[in-house]
Amino acid sequence: MSMYAFVAGPLLWISFAVFIIGLLFRMATFLKVSSEKDKIIRQHFNWRYVLLTYVRWLMPINVTVAKTPVFFLLVYVFHFCLLMVPVFLQGHIILWEESRFGWSWPALPHLLADFMTIAVVAIAALFLLRRVLSRDARLLSTFSDYALLIITALPFLTGYWVTHGTLDAVLSRYSMQIIHMLSGELMLVMIPLSKLSHSVLFFFSRGATAVEFGRRGYSM
Amino acid sequence: MAEETSPKETSSKEINPQEIMDFLKPRVGARFKTWLDICAHCALCADTCHFYNASGKDPNMIPARKVRFLKEILKKKGKVDKAYLEKVYKTIYHECNMCRRCTLYCPFGIDIALMISLLRATLTSQGMIPEGLRKAIENYKATGNQMAVTKEEWVDTIQWCEEEASAELVGLKIPIDKKGAKIMYTVNAREPKFYPQDIMEVAKIFYVAGEDWTVPSESGWDDTNLAMFAGDVKTAKMIVENTFKRAEELGVQQVAITE
Repeated sequence: MSMYAFVAGPLLWISFAVFIIGLLFRMATFLKVSSEKDKIIRQHFNWRYVLLTYVRWLMPINVTVAKTPVFFLLVYVFHFCLLMVPVFLQGHIILWEESRFGWSWPALPHLLADFMTIAVVAIAALFLLRRVLSRDARLLSTFSDYALLIITALPFLTGYWVTHGTLDAVLSRYSMQIIHMLSGELMLVMIPLSKLSHSVLFFFSRGATAVEFGRRGYSM
Repeated sequence: MAEETSPKETSSKEINPQEIMDFLKPRVGARFKTWLDICAHCALCADTCHFYNASGKDPNMIPARKVRFLKEILKKKGKVDKAYLEKVYKTIYHECNMCRRCTLYCPFGIDIALMISLLRATLTSQGMIPEGLRKAIENYKATGNQMAVTKEEWVDTIQWCEEEASAELVGLKIPIDKKGAKIMYTVNAREPKFYPQDIMEVAKIFYVAGEDWTVPSESGWDDTNLAMFAGDVKTAKMIVENTFKRAEELGVQQVAITE
């Protein structure tokens, strides 16, 4: 089996399996442990507070965006592009169409996808810069904070290079595709295994705290 | 004040890692684990903290930094020494008053105060607790109020407060255990002990406003809850339950607490 076939075949399957099963495991763990040790949240659970807090924090309508608008709006753009591009990129959808699943759905226009990819990489660079330059963020940051930021940005950077042949003079398009897939797989695997798990645990953490504040009459 | 908040008097006890872990294990729930795992270290909580702002932006006052102790203690499986816990003590008692403002601004809704509270309770299990809090908790357990005021002293104080105040406002009453009153009034136990004039002032307001009110004679009349500040959930619960019990017995509609 060629390197390409391996990375695009078995390794991809393994990555998706770790990604999906891993996240399901994180969620199940939270639900199990919380049923034993966070009874107060179960007792006072109220969808009203939970859904309201999701809406306020998934949209830029909350106290932090009012307090730190520039940084926080970048956070929103970053996450939005991060989620949209891999799913709605023409090049990816074609792969799904050609796969055994034969799935297909509408794609983002090329130019917009390019722009969103650059946004992810550029904002990641700004976040990295902030981590280094802000005394407080630097003090709190651990190795994994830096590493995960780079791991997250890498698939987008290499994806851009693949699409535009930016580094064709240095590396064959073929090799770059392998690197791009590897970086994407690394990110997928790291999501359940690291604090990137906040992709789902965000909802549990916010929800729990919203119940905690909600039972005292404050909708956060 | 400095003496009251120093753990020295009670810290002769040896640190017991097993005890620390036995205490933490059933209490570190899914939320705590998740919070310690997913904090992105974004530092947005820094300037939401009044300790941070008032200290000239001392980085040790960043809320996300203050809870590193919980992560470290869990990681070391409780194997920490006295000097380390003294450091923890300083942070959790002198550098955070569990106001929860940082939580309001945290994108993940991480409840720093709950973690600080757990650390306070953990240190209490190792005999490290401010002397004033320790005494108050003993008093709550023995008498239901933080000042160890007995029922006789309490009722007696109310009665002479009524006498004194009615000299000024003729007809004024402080009804004790009046069933079916609208409001049950509760005080800080320091009032019968040191500031009975506060009780008289309130009695005058209730009288002039024509309110239907009462005070309970049994424990539940102290509305302070200092046990909460030591993370002593069990005693904190008992204190609140006392007040609810009295309110239900008397069949009141509202419980008013002192200013």
